Parts: sequence; structure tokens; C-alpha cells
Amino acid sequence: MATRPLDLLQGTLDLLILKTLALGAQHGWGISQRIQQISDNVLRVNQGSLYPALQRLETAGWIDSEWGASENNRQAKFYTLTRKGLKQLREETTEWERMAGAVAKILAVES
Amino acid sequence: MWKRLHALIRGGDLDRGLNSEVRFHIEMETEKNMTLGMSPDDARLKALRSFGPMEKHKEETRDARGISWLETLIADLRYGARALLKHPGYALLAVLTLGLGIGANTAIFSVINGVLLKPLPYEHGDRLVVLQQSAPLSGRRNAGVAIAEYFDYRARADVFDGLVEYHQMNFDLINRGEPDRVNTGVVSANFFDLLGIKPIIGRTFVASDDVQGAEAVLVLSHTYWRTKFGSDPNIIGQIFEMNDRPHRVIGVLPNVPHYPQENDVYMPVLACPFRAAAEGNIARNRRAFAALSVFGRLKPGVSSEQAASAVGAICHTFTRDKNFAAVYRPEQSGFQATTVEVRDALTSGARDMLLILLGITGMILLIACANVANLTLARMLGRDRELAMRAALGAGRSRLVRQLLTESTLLAVAGGVIGIMFASITVGMLTRFVGRFTSRTGEIEIDVVVLAFTLGVSIVTGVLFGTLPALGSRVDLVDALKQGGSQAGNSGGRRKMQGALIVAQVAVSVVLLVGAGLLLASFYRLQKVETGYRTQGVLAAQVYGNFSKYPDAKSLRALYLPMIERLQSQAGVVSVAVTNAVPLGGGAPGTVRFDIEGRVTDDPERRPTTDTNVASPRYFETLGIPLLSGRVFTELDSDESQRVIVINKSMARYWDGGDPVGSKISTDRGEHWFTVIGVVGDVRQYGLANDIIAQLYIPLTQTPQGFAGQVLVRTAGDPLSFSNLLRTTVHALDANLPVEEIHTLDDLRSEALAAPRLTATLLVVFAGLALLVTLAGIGGVIATSVTQRTKEFGLRMALGASRDSVLTMVIRQGLFLVLIGLVLGVAGALAAGRVLNAYLYQTAPRDPVIFAGVAALFILSGIIACLIPARRATTVDPLIALRAE
Repeated sequence: MATRPLDLLQGTLDLLILKTLALGAQHGWGISQRIQQISDNVLRVNQGSLYPALQRLETAGWIDSEWGASENNRQAKFYTLTRKGLKQLREETTEWERMAGAVAKILAVES
Repeated sequence: MWKRLHALIRGGDLDRGLNSEVRFHIEMETEKNMTLGMSPDDARLKALRSFGPMEKHKEETRDARGISWLETLIADLRYGARALLKHPGYALLAVLTLGLGIGANTAIFSVINGVLLKPLPYEHGDRLVVLQQSAPLSGRRNAGVAIAEYFDYRARADVFDGLVEYHQMNFDLINRGEPDRVNTGVVSANFFDLLGIKPIIGRTFVASDDVQGAEAVLVLSHTYWRTKFGSDPNIIGQIFEMNDRPHRVIGVLPNVPHYPQENDVYMPVLACPFRAAAEGNIARNRRAFAALSVFGRLKPGVSSEQAASAVGAICHTFTRDKNFAAVYRPEQSGFQATTVEVRDALTSGARDMLLILLGITGMILLIACANVANLTLARMLGRDRELAMRAALGAGRSRLVRQLLTESTLLAVAGGVIGIMFASITVGMLTRFVGRFTSRTGEIEIDVVVLAFTLGVSIVTGVLFGTLPALGSRVDLVDALKQGGSQAGNSGGRRKMQGALIVAQVAVSVVLLVGAGLLLASFYRLQKVETGYRTQGVLAAQVYGNFSKYPDAKSLRALYLPMIERLQSQAGVVSVAVTNAVPLGGGAPGTVRFDIEGRVTDDPERRPTTDTNVASPRYFETLGIPLLSGRVFTELDSDESQRVIVINKSMARYWDGGDPVGSKISTDRGEHWFTVIGVVGDVRQYGLANDIIAQLYIPLTQTPQGFAGQVLVRTAGDPLSFSNLLRTTVHALDANLPVEEIHTLDDLRSEALAAPRLTATLLVVFAGLALLVTLAGIGGVIATSVTQRTKEFGLRMALGASRDSVLTMVIRQGLFLVLIGLVLGVAGALAAGRVLNAYLYQTAPRDPVIFAGVAALFILSGIIACLIPARRATTVDPLIALRAE
């Protein structure tokens, strides 16, 4: 599945975007606000790195985009999760949980 | 994937969208900061800082849109185009060379497409068959179909949707007072329906047109309508006089090829007076009017093999019918019937020739490819540093190869465009050429299929000649960057590849030259063939009497005899004659079997055969045919005197050395006897390459049907200038007689040589082209090699080698390649020579003289091609060469 070279930061960002969109369609700024709420240290300095990530996810077919009107009636690009994206989210969530479980087990072993 | 395509095409739009997205983000963040209490300026500054390096993020977003293979391809194409434009000389030369090679193939393919590949333009074309009867044991390949037999097949064969008859006649159509001799197709009423040909105006025949007492109707061919009536749409309903009856035009055919022959007009079966008369005779004469061609359309689901065996079975039944035992004699004659698909019958004459031509143009293309590959290799010598640089900067080897292939394909496609232009110029000439082998030439054009073929060939060519140099060079990074100029790169590998290409070019050129040489030799021998008569100064014209006005031998004699007299009395006329067939005027022998008086033949099927001809008294004198013994006809041989004939030398052989003059022969088993009064020399009646056959001549005054129709006039001056006088003299006797097909005998002889002449010319042109291209290639390769070895030559000469020895060295190098190529080429030509067998006259495909000649030609011209660059080698000043780096 994951053939990208290991890039933890990129991976977590992607996951966070997918998770955010699972809760509903959102535009780029909205996603950045939500992610900041969830994880301070990831995006505080570089909000702009969201956009390459969004483009990458869209090229991969995991999210879709559409132009629409924002809450204050301005033109904004809204992103939604696709079926493929939802599947990807579930798989990666399972993967993360498995890894987290393994790490917990390792740490729990009496040294 | 669509999104990537979208990104590719609408890149600009996406950039604008990204900009407004980012703008929106900054605004929202700024507003948020302001609600947190910051001033507008500070809020905006903080928002920008939180966003991070804007251009970098935008760039990364753009990159994330995905670099597809399409984008790489376009980048490669643009790079390739730029690189080629920097070397316009090379690019132009390559494009022209490829254009010639591809163009030749396109031209031939468009002919092949139009003649062999396209389905017939008849609606049911693929299900049409022609019924053929033959008597192979009697030597009759085509026995025609008689009326009664046609009726039998039509009644009993259930494999056909319908069976129709066809035969051709020549009638006079009186058009605005002028008689026009028209080729007339006489056909069943459902002929056009069966073929699936719909008229473009009017209608074709219906059943009620083909009954006794029906009004006489005509259908015109497209060509006739266009040339004689200027495509007048009001032609329908017009009435023309034919065979002394008014005929009404009811329709015009579309512009499709005619099968089996081209006709000007068509009429229903019963409108032909001969056919109608013969039909009354079929009870007494089973094989009356055995001149029909019969066509059928296979029922759906019936294969042509089934039809062939069904027809064969019916034939078997009636040939063994006891009532017809004497007519068919199936055991001795092998009388049989089968069906042949119309498409094959129409095109088979051209198939072999076209495939040979395709092979030849394919070889030309290979030579062109090899040449351009060599050009490319030579150019690459200067590109090593560039390539090494790109490799060092991260371009993978496959990327570099892809780049080279893109360049070569670009060149090849440009060559393809040139090729199409070249083909469209030559396709007209090729169409006329192939028209000698088939009548299906109306559909030859450069259409979508041909264009697709050209594109395919271009791409394959590009890949082919692009791969060769890429294979022959390995980019050694460090060496390439260290060295410079002309010594860079793996020259050993490249030189081997160049050498191999030259060898290949020489081999292919040798094959083509041998072919050209064989055809030339064959043509030369053919045109030296003695015709047996004097062709200079004789005019021939076709003057047929209208069948209704001149229905019998007596009336025809009353026409021709005064005509001969009047023509004879004209100034400038040496002699006049009338005959039924002009030598080399086309036609086929009309053979009969005969018995010699006093000789008993047990088997009537093994009697000798002869071709019968009609000749007026001065025929032999007019043509200059020598009299070998006895005498020729005189005015005293009339329709009341003894029946006499003159035979030719070949027929005299049947007398086994005895003198035939004075003996008698019979062609009807003894009912009538003819006395042989003279023996004349043989003539080539039916073709320069055909064997001479036995012929006999009957006096014009004694022919039972009075068939003649060809007037020959030997003039003192130029025969063609006599044409008008001929016409006025004939029309003074009968204003309605058409005088047509006016040719000199020299023209007819030239016409008989036309096809072999054209074939030889074509091949000589192709082979010459191949030779020139190959010689240029050799010269180029030697020149490059000389440049590379400047230092070496300088060294040699400084050490005492003479200029001559250097010269010899260079020439030897080139000659070595030529010799290898020669050996390969000769082997190839020996193997492939059989292909030309059908086109060679008295020339063996392995004629050693031709092979030796081609070898000598190549060695000689190869030496000359090497000489020019070699001489440059000898002008090297040793000191300068040694100093240069």
C-alpha cells in the first residue's frame, strides 16, 4: 500500500486531513484551523504546507474538490473525502493502531 | 488520471485557482487575528508568517499535480525540436531522405489499398462469384458458358441468391448523327441488383425490360455519360438509334469499376440481336452462343467452396447426359465447371507485381533508415559532452535513450509529412502503371487508411533508426567529460555500427541493382524480337460494319472491296489490306482443329490446331510478310472459285517436311476442304513474348461470315497524316461507319513493350536511387573516419609513409565494407531472383553476366566514393596533424 519513502511528518499530515474531512466537507483554511485544534505542534509555523498535501491527496484520488461559497459568501475551494479516501483512512488508522499497540507492548516488557 | 490530463491542459486555470485559494486563506487568518485584537496590518503580517514561504508552497502544490508520462513526452518533444533546429542541415537532410523512403512506401500502399485491400464497391461484393467452365484436357482454359448451360445452372443451383449472364458486344450508337462504336454489356435484367449497384440517376433494368416486344432501353456507364454527354442530368429519356432500333436511356451507373470488362452502355439480354437469334437455336445446338459470362451471389451462409462443388456437380450431370455425349466428350476434354470469387478474379493480375513493388520500396526505406542512422551517429560524436553532462545531472540512461528516440521519431514524422506530399505526386503515375494489370484502379486514393499507414511507418522508422545509434554508443561519463571534441566517446563501438549499416545498405542496393539489371536485359531482348513483318509506315484502323446494315458476308464484301479500291487509289498509298486481326493488336487466337487430307487421325481430340485469320489479297504485301512457297491470294480467288487458304511456316510443320502447297485440309471433319496455295512467314500475332502458333489465312472473299473489320494502309509518307483521308474515304461510302482505334503498327509494337518498359524503368530508378544513397553513405562514413584518424595519418606520413599508401589504406577500409555487403547482397539476390521469373523474357534470374556487372559497378563506384574523402586524408600536413589535439 504505502510505497512512499518514509516521511513521518507527511504521513501524519495526510492522516489528519483525511480525518478532518471524514467529519464533513471543508475548505483549506477550515481544515488548517481544525488540525491546529487537534495538534498544535504540527502546523503552527507552516500553514502553507497544507496545500501541497491537499493537491497530493487529490491527485491520488482520496479527496475531491469543488468551488463553492464560504460562510461569509466568499469563493472558496471545498474538499470532500472520497470512497477511496475513506478506505485509505480506515486502513491507515488500523495500521497506526497496530503500530501503537506493538510499541506499547515493547515498552511494557520488563527490562 | 483525468485530473492529470486536466492539470496538463488547464494549468493556467489551476494556478489562478490556487492563488485565490491562498488569498482566501490569508484573508480568513487575518480576520481571525483581528478578532483576537490585532491591528489590520499586524494581523496580516502574522497571517503571512503563519502561512510560511508562499512561493515554495505554491511550487510544491504545482509539483504535486503529478508529472505524467505525457508531460515528460511533451518536454522531450520540445527539447528534441530545439536540438534539431540547432542543426538545420542535418535535420533537413534526414527529413528529406526519410521522406523519400516513407513516401515511396506510402505511394505503393495506397495502390495496394485501393486494388487489393478495400472490399469491392459493390454492395454484395464479397459474396459475388463468377462461374467458369473449362476443358483443360483440350487446352481450353475458358470454355465460356452457353445459353442452354446457363439456363441449366440457373434452374438447378440452389446455392445462389441469383445467377445472371453477361456478354459484351460492339454496337454503333448514333449520337447526333455521328456513329459511336460503344462497348455494350448485354446483361440479365437483375444484373445490377445482384451486384448491388444502384444508379445515380434514373433506374436500372427490371424484369419487364427483358421480354419479347419490350421497349429497348439503355443504361449508361458513368465514364461514358461524363465524357460524351458532359454529365447532363437530362439524359434520362433521351432516345438513341442502335442496331436500327430506338433505345431509350433509363439510367446512369455510379463511378464503380466494371467487371468483367469496361463498358460504355448496357442493354437487356433480348435487346442483343445475336443473343436473341442464338436462343432460338439451343434445341439444335447445345453449345450455341458459348460466349456468356455467368455471375452469382452466394446465399447467406454458403461458402464459395460449397458453391464451387454444387456447380461442378451440375456440370458433371449434363456433360454425362447421353444426349450431349458428342458435344462434351467429358473423358477426353475434361469439361468441368467451378466458381471463382469476383474479387480474386479482378485483382489477381496485379497482386504479384504490387507485392514485389512493396518489397522494393521497403528495401529503399531500410536504406534510407541506415543512411539517417549513420548521419545521426556522426552527429552524436559531437554530443557526447552534452549527454555526459545530462547524465551527471541526474538523467537516467533510459531517459537519455528516450530523448534520442523522441528526436528520431520527430524527424521521421516530419519525413512522413514530406512522404505524403511525394506520394500524392507519384500516385497518378503508379495508378496508370497498375492499370495494365487490373481494371480496379478507380479506388486508389490517399485516404485515412493510407495516412494511418504512413504514420505507423514513420513511427516505426523513427524508433528503428533511433535505436541503432543509441545501441552503438555507451556514454562513459568520466572519459567523455575529460576528453573533448572529435575523440570523445566510445568510437570503436560507433565505428562498428556505422560499418554494419554500410554493409547492410550495400547488400540491399545490390539486390535492387541485380533486379534492375535483369529487367533491363529482359526488356532489351524483348524489344529486339523480330515481329515477322514490317511495322514502319503502316496505319491500322477499326472499321466495323453495322450488324443490321451489313448482316451477311455478301453485304460486308460489298462494303470492304470498294473501300480497298478507293483507298488504294489515293495519293501516297502504297497498298491497302483488310483483315480481322492486326498483329499485336490484342485479341486471342481463334483456334480450330483440322485434318490433312490423306492423313488418318485416330483420336479427334488430338488433331492439330490452328488459328484462323481473314486476309484480303494484298495483306501480306502490306505487312511485308515474306512468301516462302506457293502464292498468295489474288482477285481471282473469289467467293465462287475453289476454296483456298494460305498457311504460315509453323502450320507447315504439320506436313512433316513435305510440301503443303497443293494439299487439302478440313476444319469440319471432311464436309468442306480447303486447298493450301501458299506458305508465308510466321508473325508475332498475339504478343512479342508469346510463342508463335500455327495460323491460316482465308481470303476476304471466301469467309463464310465475312468477319473483317481492320483496315491496314501502307503509306509512302507518315501514316498518321493519312488518318483524315482515311476517314473521309470511308465515309464517302457510308457516312455512318465509325472509323476508330487508329494506330500505326509501330505504335502497337511500342504498346506491346509498354508494361515491361515501365517495370524496368521503375526498378532502374529505384535501384539507381539506392546506389546513390549508399555511395553517399559510404563517402560520409569514410570522411568521418578520416577526420578521426588525422593524427594517425600525420604520424604515418611523418614516419615515411607515402601519400599513396595512406590513400590505399583509406580506400581499402571502404572497399572492405563494400565487399562484405556485395557478398551478402549477391546471396540475397540469388535467393530472391525467382520472384521476378514471370517478368523475365529469355533471361535467367541467375544470369551470371548481370551479377558480374553489378559487382563491377559497385566496386568501381565504391572506389570513387572513397576516393574523395581519401584524398583529403593525403593532404594532411603531418606537422599540423601531430600538433593538433
